[in-house]
Amino acid sequence: MSRARAMVIALVSIVSGGVVMALMGFGLASAAPHQAPQNAKYLGMTTVTVGGKSVSLKHVALTIGTFPDSLFGVHGAGGGTHPDWVSYSSSNLVVPAHSLVTMTINQYDSGGPLNNPFFANVFGTVGGTATVDGKVVTKVDPSAIGHTFTLRGIPQNATPLFVSVPLPENFATDTPLTIGEGQYSKPVVVTFSFVTGTKGIYNWNCEFPCGGSRIGQFGQAMSTYGYMSGTLTVK
Amino acid sequence: MATSNDNKKAIYSIFWIWLVITIVGVLISIKAPAWLMPTSASSSMHLVIETIVVFSVAAAPVAALVYATTLYALVKWRWRGDGVPPDGPNLRNNSTLTAVWIVSSTMLTIFLLIWGLAALAVDEGGGNGKNPMTVNVTGQQWAWSFTYPGTHVASNELYLPVNDKITFNVTSKDVVHGFWIVQMGVKVNANPGVSTTVSVTPNKIGTYDIRCTEICGLYHAYMVTRVHVLSDTAFAKWLSSQPSRA
Amino acid sequence: MTTTLEHTPTKGAARGGGIMRRLNFLTGIIGGVLVAALFYFIARETLDQGSQTFVDTLTTLTGVGWVIGFWLGIGAFTGVGRWFIGKDQNHDDEMYLAGKDLGRARYWKYTTDHKVVGVQYVIVTMVLLAAGGILAMALRTELITPGAHFVNPQIYNAFISVHGMVMIVALIVAVAGPWANFVVPIMVGARDMAFPRLNALSLWTLVAAIPLLLGSLCVGGLSMGWVTQAPISEQAGPGMDLFALAIITFAISTTVAGVNTICTVLTMRTKGMTLERLPIFVWSSLIAAALGLYAFPFFLVVMALNVVDRTTGTSFFIASGGGTGWLQENLFWLMGHPEVYVILLPAVGALLEITTVFSRKPLFSYRTAVGGMAALAGLSVLVWAHHMFQTGWAPTLGGPFMLTTELISIPTGIVFLVILGTLWRGNIWMKLPMYWVFGFVFDFLIGGVTGIYLSDIPVDNQMHGTMFVVAHFHYVFVGSVLFGAIAALCFWFPKMTGRFLDEKLGKISFWLTFVGVQVTFLSMFVSGLRGMPRRYASYAIIFEHTNFISTIGAYIIMAGMLVLLGAIIQSWRSGEPSGPNPWSSKTLEWLVPTPVPLENFEVLPVITADPYTYGEELVNS
Repeated sequence: MSRARAMVIALVSIVSGGVVMALMGFGLASAAPHQAPQNAKYLGMTTVTVGGKSVSLKHVALTIGTFPDSLFGVHGAGGGTHPDWVSYSSSNLVVPAHSLVTMTINQYDSGGPLNNPFFANVFGTVGGTATVDGKVVTKVDPSAIGHTFTLRGIPQNATPLFVSVPLPENFATDTPLTIGEGQYSKPVVVTFSFVTGTKGIYNWNCEFPCGGSRIGQFGQAMSTYGYMSGTLTVK
Repeated sequence: MATSNDNKKAIYSIFWIWLVITIVGVLISIKAPAWLMPTSASSSMHLVIETIVVFSVAAAPVAALVYATTLYALVKWRWRGDGVPPDGPNLRNNSTLTAVWIVSSTMLTIFLLIWGLAALAVDEGGGNGKNPMTVNVTGQQWAWSFTYPGTHVASNELYLPVNDKITFNVTSKDVVHGFWIVQMGVKVNANPGVSTTVSVTPNKIGTYDIRCTEICGLYHAYMVTRVHVLSDTAFAKWLSSQPSRA
Repeated sequence: MTTTLEHTPTKGAARGGGIMRRLNFLTGIIGGVLVAALFYFIARETLDQGSQTFVDTLTTLTGVGWVIGFWLGIGAFTGVGRWFIGKDQNHDDEMYLAGKDLGRARYWKYTTDHKVVGVQYVIVTMVLLAAGGILAMALRTELITPGAHFVNPQIYNAFISVHGMVMIVALIVAVAGPWANFVVPIMVGARDMAFPRLNALSLWTLVAAIPLLLGSLCVGGLSMGWVTQAPISEQAGPGMDLFALAIITFAISTTVAGVNTICTVLTMRTKGMTLERLPIFVWSSLIAAALGLYAFPFFLVVMALNVVDRTTGTSFFIASGGGTGWLQENLFWLMGHPEVYVILLPAVGALLEITTVFSRKPLFSYRTAVGGMAALAGLSVLVWAHHMFQTGWAPTLGGPFMLTTELISIPTGIVFLVILGTLWRGNIWMKLPMYWVFGFVFDFLIGGVTGIYLSDIPVDNQMHGTMFVVAHFHYVFVGSVLFGAIAALCFWFPKMTGRFLDEKLGKISFWLTFVGVQVTFLSMFVSGLRGMPRRYASYAIIFEHTNFISTIGAYIIMAGMLVLLGAIIQSWRSGEPSGPNPWSSKTLEWLVPTPVPLENFEVLPVITADPYTYGEELVNS
């Protein structure tokens, strides 16, 4: 065969193969589960002491919840494919850079003992404390924890963050609140603040064994994207 | 089989190609590893880099021999006519060459082995730092936590005093993780239910990386933290300033 | 004995066959789906739906149903069944099964002719390589810059795990499947393999395993690499059950094929074909098959124990129940290390065969070559714990395993000796297969040397679990084994199809692939040296340049492989006709006509010399 014909066949092979793969890639990317981002609410400017110095930062607030099932709405009708899996209300959080972020977490779920008491401590928040139902704490009882919010990352821009707050067990037995398709009890409210640095994407997950499987109960909800883990995008 | 003139000519030319490739290879072997690898923060890491240099230098002439011969073959013995080439000489074996090849590759292997065993022995204790100290490392999906036995200090980032021999007792709460201090050349797996041990003496003050090296699920790539090697006084200050967490 | 026919045979169609006349790939799929659905519904109704192991047991049983149904649907055990009920297959039935007068249809059926099985294996290998390649492109694209892009880490982890397993399966069969089946029986002077029905069984069992393997992606995937280390493999979703089942099915396929190859080579050689006159490719197939027979049962066992743990609550691998993950790691690597030599040896054998033909010289040091391959296989069973140096399992055994691993470099060096000696003063005919041989020499040296680095424990303490290891084994798997598989394809394509694989397209493919391999994996060595761990969905910014370069290199490899695919399609349909022995080779398969007759030889040949008598005319005449 002539060289020209060989070149043509080669090019056709590469282009058609490339097109097929690109289509598969786009199909996959759009089929992959995505949650809409939850942006923090802007509250105003505030002054915070960071590293001994007083700085003026944007103050934003973010409210999320931890639920004993997936019926509250974000996973779709009927709670999605796994309605009985525990779930955070959002896996896609967005906060601005160089701000003071005040997070409020409504903890609706029951709990039990942590498998590593390390995570019963509060890490990385302003003042090293969190507020649980109005009370200021630096650590909680490791045998009665519902979930944790453990945020970490040393992303490409090199402002590391490590914030970990235990969310105590919710002992209430009645379920008067209706959110989405689920019935929930009055939440344990945990509030804490931390300071963000430069832009980056950080990852957070729960460090309480609330998933399935025999191995540390970190399977199922804990190991599946979009339930007990997520990203915090600092923009 | 007697070496004919053809053999002699080929060996002569190949020798020069071999020499050039070996020299280039040795130069790259000496310079490249330290340039490419992370900074060395312990004697163990220094040994790693040294070993890579030695192995590369040893491999260079071997690679050069193979590449020189194939290059020569491609250029000199390539049949440039049409159709099926005529048969080549019926050289079925050369016992001397085979024996020399096997013996020299065995000796090279033994040399590399002795180097490796010696390196292991030297490094066995994890360096000869003073004031031996223990740190308990716990891996879990997907974070590292460190506790200092004898104190109530617990931290998500590792702090160590320089020039002391540190022994890590590493375990896991769920699945297997890999505890790796990148710049110190130490790595041991964190297994559930058992404690594995590794020792090292950090010899350079600075901040280095710890990365998980056994796939542990969703956030394996984010199971990354840092180690801060401080002077003795700075470390003592850090230790005493930590709240009681453990 | 008379045959009972269900209908009058039409003109030209073979008689006999019985129920096999109606069974083919399609009925196999239908059977598989039906029985899988049946098992699914039975399991769903009878199992305790609330138990923690419900989903795993359900998935496992459905998968088992698929395999059994596929076997039934394609008629895999018809022969055995008929023997059992006393209605043996007669000669006409066996001729039908061998595909006599069936034309193209025989490629879609349970055909026993080893040449048909060889072609089927070529197609299956290409499908597997395509699937693995698409996954590779997906994960390389994800890694083009740091951070998550179009898939989340869970999907990425599933990609790398399935990519690894699919490619390993593809490479295990890449040379041994097509060519040990198509060529080896003719090379030893036999009319077919020792067990023709087992031959078809091994192929169709492999086909049955593929939907299980790829299907694991659809039910949540795998998150723990192809090594599926315990205990994380016990934490995974139902994808792990399908994966384990795929492996068990595949292990059955390879065991059957291995037994077949060994028996053929040992018992069916024609008169005069002593062991010393065997072509080197036959030796490599024999040794690889024997090694596989030792190694793959470990794989079957470790996956079976995994499934039992997951479905019944035992604790073989779970520390809290009294077991240990180290057991899984040992069993796995007892398979895992010999397995890479099962992958390597057939490719090396094919490359050595090609080198003799295209240098017009005898194989240099035949006995040393065979001895070297045997030593490689023998030593490979003693080195497995070099994958476990950092597990903390047996620190005192570090030295001995370092010793055995470094010793393997000696027989590996013998491979180079043999190739260089065969090239020496030959008349090197640079046709397409020879390009891949030279590519192999370049790549295998790098792959082998970097393996020696990793065998040294202090270096391995730094490099284990990093991209350095990934680059090392890709140099061996892609740069060496895949090159060998493609060389074998280019070499035996004229015998299989009667046409040449187009030289120009082949050369374009070669250069793209060769350059792509260097770009991708040299850059990956640097990623590893600088400290990037493997199986990372996202990485630190210091690794961005090397990853970007690796991704570009991967695209270049993809282009090369697509051109090869184009070449295969074009040449198979309308390539230049080649005649029966275009390479003037002396092994028996080239001395039979093309297309090869159903029973290979009119008259079985009598062998008086080995096939490496190049340059001997003057001596012997």
